[in-house]
Amino acid sequence: MDEWKPNPAVKPHKKRSWYLAWKYKLTNQRALRKLCQTGAVLFLLVTVIVNIKLILDTRRAAYEEEEESAQDYDDEMLNVEVPRHPVNNKKVLDVEVYSSRSKVYVAVDGTTVLEDEAREQGRGIHVIVLNQATGHVMAKRVFDTYSPHEDEAMVLFLNMVARGRILIFTIKDEGSFHLKETAKNVLKSLGSQVAPFLSWRDMWTFVGKKGGEVYGEKHAKSPALSTWGDPVLLKTEVHLTSVEDAECHWPDTELNRRRKRFCSKVEGYGSVCSCKDPTPIEFNPDPLKDNKVFNVPVAVIAGNRPNYLYRMLRSLLSAQGVNPQMITVFIDGYYEEPMDVVELFGLSGIQHTPISIKNARVSQHYKASLTATFNLFPDAKFAVVLEEDLDISVDFFSFLSQSIHLLEEDESLYCISAWNDQGYEHTAEDPSLLYRVETMPGLGWVLRKSLYKDELEPKWPTPEKLWDWDMWMRMPEQRKGRECIIPDISRSYHFGIVGLNMNGYFHEAYFKKHKFNTVPNVQLKNVESLRKENYETEIHRLLGEAEVLDHSKNPCEDSFVPDTEGRVYVMFIRMEQEADFTTWTQLAKCLHIWDLDVRGNHKGLWRLFRKKNHFLVVGVPSSPYSSKKPSSVTPIYMEPPAKEEGAVAVPAVAAAEQT
Amino acid sequence: NGAALSKVRGSQSGQDSTRWHVVRKFLGLISSHNIPVYLIDPLILGLVDKDIEQIRSSPDGPSPECKYFCTPRDFTTFALLDKTWKHEVGLFRTAEKMGFQWLKIINKDPRLDGMDDLSGMEIPLHYIFKLASHAIHLVVFYERSGNFLWHGPLRLRQHMDRKFVPFRKLHFGRYPGAYEKPELLRVSIDDLKVQIPKNPSSFLEEMSHSRFLECRYREARAFFQLYPDDASLDAVEFRKKAKSLLHLAALTLNSLGVKFWLSSGTCLGWYRQCNIIPHSKDVDLGIFIRDYKADIIPAFQKAGLPLKHKFGKVEDSLELSFQGEDDVKLDIFFFYEEDDHIWNGGTQAKSGKKFKYLFPKFTLCWTEFVELKVHVPCETLQYVEANYGPEWKVPVKTWDWKSSPSNVQDNGVWPIDEWDNVIQIY
Repeated sequence: MDEWKPNPAVKPHKKRSWYLAWKYKLTNQRALRKLCQTGAVLFLLVTVIVNIKLILDTRRAAYEEEEESAQDYDDEMLNVEVPRHPVNNKKVLDVEVYSSRSKVYVAVDGTTVLEDEAREQGRGIHVIVLNQATGHVMAKRVFDTYSPHEDEAMVLFLNMVARGRILIFTIKDEGSFHLKETAKNVLKSLGSQVAPFLSWRDMWTFVGKKGGEVYGEKHAKSPALSTWGDPVLLKTEVHLTSVEDAECHWPDTELNRRRKRFCSKVEGYGSVCSCKDPTPIEFNPDPLKDNKVFNVPVAVIAGNRPNYLYRMLRSLLSAQGVNPQMITVFIDGYYEEPMDVVELFGLSGIQHTPISIKNARVSQHYKASLTATFNLFPDAKFAVVLEEDLDISVDFFSFLSQSIHLLEEDESLYCISAWNDQGYEHTAEDPSLLYRVETMPGLGWVLRKSLYKDELEPKWPTPEKLWDWDMWMRMPEQRKGRECIIPDISRSYHFGIVGLNMNGYFHEAYFKKHKFNTVPNVQLKNVESLRKENYETEIHRLLGEAEVLDHSKNPCEDSFVPDTEGRVYVMFIRMEQEADFTTWTQLAKCLHIWDLDVRGNHKGLWRLFRKKNHFLVVGVPSSPYSSKKPSSVTPIYMEPPAKEEGAVAVPAVAAAEQT
Repeated sequence: NGAALSKVRGSQSGQDSTRWHVVRKFLGLISSHNIPVYLIDPLILGLVDKDIEQIRSSPDGPSPECKYFCTPRDFTTFALLDKTWKHEVGLFRTAEKMGFQWLKIINKDPRLDGMDDLSGMEIPLHYIFKLASHAIHLVVFYERSGNFLWHGPLRLRQHMDRKFVPFRKLHFGRYPGAYEKPELLRVSIDDLKVQIPKNPSSFLEEMSHSRFLECRYREARAFFQLYPDDASLDAVEFRKKAKSLLHLAALTLNSLGVKFWLSSGTCLGWYRQCNIIPHSKDVDLGIFIRDYKADIIPAFQKAGLPLKHKFGKVEDSLELSFQGEDDVKLDIFFFYEEDDHIWNGGTQAKSGKKFKYLFPKFTLCWTEFVELKVHVPCETLQYVEANYGPEWKVPVKTWDWKSSPSNVQDNGVWPIDEWDNVIQIY
């Protein structure tokens, strides 16, 4: 404390460019970009004003509480600091923690274990977990508690940390705006006296043992709305315990040795490291009878989201018919923790030196992973491609085993995907039903080796082309009119909310309500009808039996579809030519399904469920199925709203949260 | 049973039962972990091959004497197919309990070597299990693109015990090797149940020239740094066609049993950039004239590749050219061996001029190229330099086969009366 000098030369506040940040966000989302127009700027300004007003309100309320207690805990802080000399020859760690507007760092015994002074990132509460016996860093997280829900993630994380671990906290820039009561209480229960009163742009550092003593805490209030609290530097000491005390005593088996290695290295995985009742790391799901995909390699594409990878691999290894020997995890970058997760499950992992930036980096990582997969499994005709932020359905391999022969035999197929872009809770119903679609959904799919080797690999976008691999694969030059097979109810679930093209709002709007199959051993019906010619017969049969809905009603209303179950209905919308999706997009919007681009179509036909009835939408006159339209029916036309305000709202709010 | 047998073995004069016991223990170890290994020991397979008829006819019969596993040797060699086991640590713990000392040789995974900046886990290439005075050398085979098996070289690292076994005497590991996937036969020899290659003599023949060369991926990457790859649609299309032509040619020649190697531009492409050179416009193969078969032409025609021209004759300067899809042509040069060099011939159609291309002597090695297991000259650098000169690293787009090669020599003119035979153009 004596060494610490308040820094009077706090940099003057420079307003960040909200507009630029928002624009940057959008260039990453090609789909959104299309919909974006100048109206967004106006809308954003409104969002900014609302945000500032909110901030002001929060401040006003917080000030009243704070003024009473602020004085006391500043003094007490002095007493909390531990005397700087070792006791009883126990090993002691020197810990330094720094919190400021533009920089945070943590040093343990003189080694910097965290240093973040990058602009425009790393905002919020940084948390570091140290092993209480070795002093090694076991986890490093940052929770942007300026933004909503991040405090919940922090609580979840803190709850998973084992008792006895050393926790270090420090704030960069702002960490209080969305730090709710629950989170503050958790911090308080760890021994923090400041946490309950943390407010706008305060600086804060804290070191304590989970379920034990407090090693130090420092805090600097922000004097005014427009400025930050002075930087704080906390120097303290932590006494190490014996290794024995820091480890669990599981029976000595091969699995537990893997577990022990993992648990002494990393933190934040909860019950897998529980001493008393650790959760299994081997799952032995039932084998599949006549499993046609047992020898198909599975490539898991991962970045540095080890907790996601952990969740993903658990679900993958629990799926019936999984063959762990065929799984390879491809990690984009030299990250240790994802590799630790891979080793915990006894799988093989490959690290990839990052090439290029942003979307192109992901794209190059995909290419390297796919090439490596076919090199490692030269006999394979297919590869299953998964990503680290997917849950895998229990019947994922069963679904593939029943359908993979189609991909082998039907050259008009591009892929089999486990994901139905339009398969939401309210629009998907039948786990045994499959579709053919002209779009390529990704998110858990099967790639034919010949397609990759002969067509995709040789002309894969080079690093300097900043393309999304999936967008590229969807381009007509690559897809060449071929289709993908998808299930009505998805066999994967996209849970990731932190990603390159992903944020909380976007996830909630487009992914959260996606239906996910949980029924084991679903027998797919009529798989043969998915072949090119058979599918046309099937569609004509369906349209023949379908009842034409009342086209005078509003298709967005619930009453548009009668209160029946198990019937087949058809509606006709206007679609002047193959690329005219004006009405479809409006319909998709009001049905609350994917509307950011066109997905799930087959020759101007969409198939989904409404109120447990099969619901067909035919685009007239473009679709070849238009002939099924009775002459008395006028196709429904829905006009896009003026200036596309609705469309702009999505990115604007999302961007505001990210700013 | 084992105890009784061991007495029998021990009593046999001039024979050593240690080896037999160690092998038996080792087989017990691996079968308790369900790991399928097969015998590839060349000395034992050589003996087995002599009695193969008898062994095949009585796969379970008791043997009156210890004929194979009792010759005193330092090693017995077995093979393990990597994909058939799960790398359980348990195997080694059991081995230790049984008294084995073991050594694992690991190295980079060559299947990832060709790829930019991927670092996988290192893979086990060899294991050595030592008990008393005998050691089991277990060679790990991996499947590679091109439908073949590969084993790695055995290289000791700094900290390793160089005297663990007499490494120089090992039959496998001096070089990496490439093999066909063998058909296996379960037999009982010396009362030990083992798997052996179904046809030991052809395995031994294969072994004698199994040396494998990895492509020089690092140099290829450096090459592409200097001369970025042509990613145009034309280049992509040409590579695709050249690759399928090469696959078809390999299939045709392999089924005739004719040994061939990558020559000229195709060889340069492999050596310099580990890929087909997109502006090369044809695929070039070399065949020793002693391997020439008259069936070659009809076989290619049957495979859908009509003869485009035939220059020279079997006795002198033979060269065949077949028409592949869309202007991609397959050139086959026949090579003539002399005491101190090897050469192939060229013929100019309009003038009847003959040319001779000289190469230093070379042997053949296997490599992997565009998902094929193919031969290249082991002494590739000399071969490429002879053909393209010291500047072979610099791409050249204009190439005159009559004057550009640095090893070309004028070789006279075909007599006019032979022209009909030695210059055939279709």
